[in-house]
Amino acid sequence: MILTPKIVARLVAIALLGAMLQLCFFSRVDLFGVSPDILPALVVVLGLLGGSMTGAVAGFSIGLLVDSLLVEALGASSLVLLGTGYLAGLFRERFEIHSSLVPALLCMGLTLFAELGYAAVQLLLGVDAHISMLLIRDMLLKSFYAFFLGWAIYMTVRRVLRSALVEEPEAPRREASALGAR
Amino acid sequence: MYRKQVRRRRAVLALLVLGSFALLTLTYGQSSNGFQRGVSTIFSPLQTVFDRALKPARDLVDWFDETFEARGENERLQAQLQEEREMAVAGQVALQENAQLRKLLEFDRGPALATSAFEPLTARVISRSPIVWHSTVTIDVGSDDGVRVEDPVMSPDGLVGKISSVEGGSAQVMLLTDADSSVSAKVVPEGVQGVVRPEIGDPEDLVLDFIDSTKRVSRGQKVVTSGWRAETIASQFPQGLPIGEVTRASVEEQEASQQVHLRPFADLRDLDFVQVLTGGSR
Repeated sequence: MILTPKIVARLVAIALLGAMLQLCFFSRVDLFGVSPDILPALVVVLGLLGGSMTGAVAGFSIGLLVDSLLVEALGASSLVLLGTGYLAGLFRERFEIHSSLVPALLCMGLTLFAELGYAAVQLLLGVDAHISMLLIRDMLLKSFYAFFLGWAIYMTVRRVLRSALVEEPEAPRREASALGAR
Repeated sequence: MYRKQVRRRRAVLALLVLGSFALLTLTYGQSSNGFQRGVSTIFSPLQTVFDRALKPARDLVDWFDETFEARGENERLQAQLQEEREMAVAGQVALQENAQLRKLLEFDRGPALATSAFEPLTARVISRSPIVWHSTVTIDVGSDDGVRVEDPVMSPDGLVGKISSVEGGSAQVMLLTDADSSVSAKVVPEGVQGVVRPEIGDPEDLVLDFIDSTKRVSRGQKVVTSGWRAETIASQFPQGLPIGEVTRASVEEQEASQQVHLRPFADLRDLDFVQVLTGGSR
């Protein structure tokens, strides 16, 4: 990704919009008892489009913003989301994205990673309360929702950042031969 | 060139990870700090705008979800209605008896019984935490409206939680399902005391912990705030605020773990408006 001031401004706007949509909409709707979480998917998409550093910085910043808005201990969400964004970026740098399913699948997998990360951080900090087995259902359903939401987020963010993306050269088209034109 | 780039990336990553740990160490256990207060103050008007703009979309999604739930809910409510009718009749009789006994004893309500010392303040929920471990909502009233940390927060159905931090025009409510929430409560009419704590991951289940294992609690009994008061300290909640109804109370669990399960009266997943009980004498 080519980072110009205009693109950085767009990235900031995407992060802000994502955080606002999460806190004011997705966290407050309930589908089969679970609220979707788009923030890991958003960070994954930014990592996939911009690489590991963009993913990590975006994850850290979005986590910091969310923790500040919710007046939670700063750093917990940042730590989890920066790892999520970094892994997504690393995937993009190491592997080719051949199928349009890959971003959605990555969003699903890395949302599960993020949910496990939140749990790990909380358990490390110490939790006195009882933990329900339904927490597993919550994590799995959030990952499932991330598959569909991640695909939509990928398409939207890719369009917004299109001018900054370094596109892969397209495979040369086959010339129409005399036989092919038959 | 490539190696230099890799080194720079690693340095940035290490810096971010260290930054996260440093922030966590510095801010863990604090209610709020200047940075968070500043961010909340800047963004709370934006959150209000987003909340109102997205309300129709939220209602649409909720409608789909509620339609799925409605079928099972109908049968459960029919059975509950029958049960409640029987209890209402019994309650009327008890009320009459109570009034007569009060007259006889010239019973005087203690200060902890009176919720009239609190001024209810209606607030709109403008955002909610996406993390299941932090069950908090942000409301559009704050210290400018007289809201203070620890003020109880109610919905029309029952207790929702308490104020965990407050800024000028907004406040955070720690819901009963938050990992750090605990409310001293009692089962009525038996008066078995305990502490209501969350069951993380299940918003429809709370645990009444540390109950006296020699006393029996049974399914269907109501749980309210106990509102205890000692010489110098008092519970942040007034006495008698409804919390929930006992749903599971096996003898084994009561004896072994000293706990029973309850379902909160308030629908903690779907809060649009709440009431903050301000001005309590703490």
